[in-house]
Amino acid sequence: MVKGFKRKFFSGIEIYGFLILVSIYALLPFIWMLSTSLKTEAEAFRVPPTWIPIKSTLDAYVSMWTKKNFGIYFLNSAVISLATAVLSTFFGALAGYGFSRFVFKGRKFLIGFFLATQMLPGVLLVGPYFKILSKFGLYDTRTGLVIAFLTICLPFSTWMMKGFIDRVPDALDQAALVDGCSRLGVFFRVILPISAPGMVATIIFAFLLAWGDLLWVICLTSTESMVTVTLGIARTVGEFQIIWPMLMAGALMGGMPAIILYLLLQRLLVQGLTAGAVKE
Amino acid sequence: MRWFRISIFAVLFLGIVIGLSTFANAQEKVALRFSDWHLTESPWDKTLADAMALFEKRYPNIKIELEPVSYKDKEPKYTVELAAGKGPDIFHVHAFSLPMFFDKGFAMDLTPFIEKEGGAKYLEAWYPLCMNMMKHKGKVCAMPGDYMSMVLVYNTELFKAAGLDPKKLKTWEEFLEYNIKLTKAPERWGIALPGAKDPGFELRFSPFLWSFGGDYLTPDHKKSVLDSKEAKEAFKFFVELYTKHKVMPPGVTSMNPQDVRTQLAHRKIAWEIGSGWTAPIVNAINPELKAFDVLDAVPLPVKKNKVTTIWLSSWVMSPNTKHPKEAWELMKFITSKEMELNWFVKNRVTSSRKDVSDVAPEILNDKFASVIASQLPYGKVVPQIPQWPEIVDAFTTAVQEAMTEMKPPEKALADAHHRINGILARKK
Amino acid sequence: MKLLKIKDRHMWTLFVLPGTILLVLVLGFPAFQSILYSIYPEGGGTSYTLNNYSILFSDSVFRQVFGNTVLFVILSVASHLLLGLGVALVLNREIFAKPVFRLIALLPWVVPDVVVGIIWRWMFDPVYGAFNDLLLRIGLISTHVQWLSSPKLALLSVIFVNLWRGFPFVMLILLAGLQSIPRVLYEAAAIDGASRWQLFARITLPSLKKMLVVALALDIVWEVRRFGLIQTMTQGGPGNITEVLSTYIYKQYFQFFRFEYASAVAVIMTAALLMVSLPYIWMISQEE
Repeated sequence: MVKGFKRKFFSGIEIYGFLILVSIYALLPFIWMLSTSLKTEAEAFRVPPTWIPIKSTLDAYVSMWTKKNFGIYFLNSAVISLATAVLSTFFGALAGYGFSRFVFKGRKFLIGFFLATQMLPGVLLVGPYFKILSKFGLYDTRTGLVIAFLTICLPFSTWMMKGFIDRVPDALDQAALVDGCSRLGVFFRVILPISAPGMVATIIFAFLLAWGDLLWVICLTSTESMVTVTLGIARTVGEFQIIWPMLMAGALMGGMPAIILYLLLQRLLVQGLTAGAVKE
Repeated sequence: MRWFRISIFAVLFLGIVIGLSTFANAQEKVALRFSDWHLTESPWDKTLADAMALFEKRYPNIKIELEPVSYKDKEPKYTVELAAGKGPDIFHVHAFSLPMFFDKGFAMDLTPFIEKEGGAKYLEAWYPLCMNMMKHKGKVCAMPGDYMSMVLVYNTELFKAAGLDPKKLKTWEEFLEYNIKLTKAPERWGIALPGAKDPGFELRFSPFLWSFGGDYLTPDHKKSVLDSKEAKEAFKFFVELYTKHKVMPPGVTSMNPQDVRTQLAHRKIAWEIGSGWTAPIVNAINPELKAFDVLDAVPLPVKKNKVTTIWLSSWVMSPNTKHPKEAWELMKFITSKEMELNWFVKNRVTSSRKDVSDVAPEILNDKFASVIASQLPYGKVVPQIPQWPEIVDAFTTAVQEAMTEMKPPEKALADAHHRINGILARKK
Repeated sequence: MKLLKIKDRHMWTLFVLPGTILLVLVLGFPAFQSILYSIYPEGGGTSYTLNNYSILFSDSVFRQVFGNTVLFVILSVASHLLLGLGVALVLNREIFAKPVFRLIALLPWVVPDVVVGIIWRWMFDPVYGAFNDLLLRIGLISTHVQWLSSPKLALLSVIFVNLWRGFPFVMLILLAGLQSIPRVLYEAAAIDGASRWQLFARITLPSLKKMLVVALALDIVWEVRRFGLIQTMTQGGPGNITEVLSTYIYKQYFQFFRFEYASAVAVIMTAALLMVSLPYIWMISQEE
């Protein structure tokens, strides 16, 4: 009994020690960001740096909202990222299911093709891409950006969703089919609910990808009304000035929607319906 | 799980509707797209917005759409758009990237417009050196903007404390002595020169090379002359400021001009090579320094040649513009005497117009601008060829390799010399 | 094996084609054009040439950049998988304040990678950076370290930041995978007296295999494409120590305007990536 207790206790220490180390690693830059965002511009440049601001101020946050059109940036980013996340996860799940459940000619090729489309660097694609978008009048629109991000996210979403759906036993499909369900019915009623944790991971992934992109936003939009949060933040870093408190305030606020999205979805991530439902 | 499906479709629908319903309003006015990296920087953003409002008032049939782009992102943005037959109608780039834009056909020939304004007589207002850089195959394809020379900007208090007078500075040897005396590591260093791969590097390094009597390329731009005795001497002198004499702060190879100004603002260094923009930015970084009072400027030291680097920006009209006539009116406006003086008053950049920089009392009486203007006759520009960015990148790589002691200076410079010859020899 | 109904066999088109059509329609032309560009002579022209490729293979900087990329990708992916798996395993257990720790471990991911680069570059500043200041205060180092400008440390520092930014993705995908391992499997094995390590090796790892391969595959493609973070931190310096293919292509394309050469580099990068990916594409597309 003593031995058992010891073992449990020590493994507990190891685990919490590990978690605390990881947390420090993960949080350190955020602490620094928070501290800097509350400083005045002059204090941000102090040598040696201060970790707790001598004079705290919310000026940087206020400036981000008043001097920059942060409200518009948020709306743009939210619409673009949400649309990208939902569409790419949905189509990714569709394709993932197709790849997972059906054997057909050219299947391996297509699975490889999906991933291969992401191997050419965006730097080269963005030029021709611009031509297509402007031909269809989609330059400088959110739709254009969503289509762009969709083509980047979809292959990754497909691979991720295929991975998750592969783990759902085919017997469940068969049972539902025998009960008179259609294939689409199986997909919507059986597969999607069971793969909820995977879908959450995929949605967050696609959301963050669209949220954090810079190159495509720079090249595929031109007006202030299309600026995204990331572009707005990146612009506070000019060649001739870097406004650190504003940059940090922007980065912290810019991270909030993703965190909220995660908090909304985390219930699905953890429980899913899996553990109970998936039995061989 | 029904809500799940419903929400999927709802967002799907929403995304498409919002996306499609964004644009397409017919406009009666002629709309011009105006893009400048300054639009992302304060107080430039306000200066430009005010100026554009004034322009719209004078030309009620024209509407200006401001398109901010950050300094680092302007090339990707302009390249992608111009190559696809679009692009802002008027945009701002450095003069030293003009050859690349010309080479790709990314600039409108302005000669016909200038002919209508009076041809050569109209252009007389600008310094000939500046106008020459705007020409491509004999045609004027851009208009000059800010025009400044690089000078030493120093902290008068730190020099006074060290008992040194930079106004007496004559040679590079003295420059080194001054720096050694000013350095009190790890509290303070003499100077910091940005070593990152950044356009700021060549502005600050070139005076060393040219003053020592060396150069990057032969006058016909066919070969590298970095194997000359003078070039080797200048390179070694520059590198040893960091490696041997340690008068520059650690990590200088990854510093960009902004990092250097930060050090100046916090008295970590006593001086730097800068220009008109230096004091206002330093003041913004650390108002406690009182940069406008405490900083001052002197010309660079001299070895064989008295020489400094020229900073010149330029305004380009898109070859794809649908409203060339209106775009030219805007071009004329932003390069007018009135506006050029306005840019100086608001943002301390001196003009490429002689009738501004040579005569305006605002400039002649400013302690920084007067020194900068006095050095313009000794100004020299880096080679104006499309391969230049690649060449200077190879060169900066060598500087970094030598400064971080990955290679001895001689070896690093010799490698750069061969590499640059390779770049020039490549068939274009 | 799968029991496919005859009438059902062609249903795959319904599932797979929408995505395929979208990719082909939208990416087909850009991809075709960039490959075509790589066989145009530099500076434009209509004839075809392999000159860009011969320049590339004889360029010592290209070879160095290629090597850097391999090193960067291997170290990044390996560190992501190790830390991601470790954190996922711990967070899958019954521990105190689990949701809090899970959120903390996800946080680095919400910062866009260009912003990550800008922030860490500043934290790494040798003179006034927060990182040195902190390490000095707790006594881990005794002098200011040049994280990004020392030839020995630069690449490792970038990888360190890339680990920070990249492990949450792997963690999340593996955590989602761990959620669906039936608990009964562990209970059964525990009754048989299996040790913790045996449980891990016999149940956890095999059940996670597919997810691990997916994470590995996606992360490799991802790290080869990694751009904003390196560009904002070092721009490839000092020298060419941290220059990787993605920054090299960007530079050739947008700074030097060498569209054709940049395309050739990109084609080589894609080809190399394809070769590396073939085994796991094969593995993932195997039927159960």
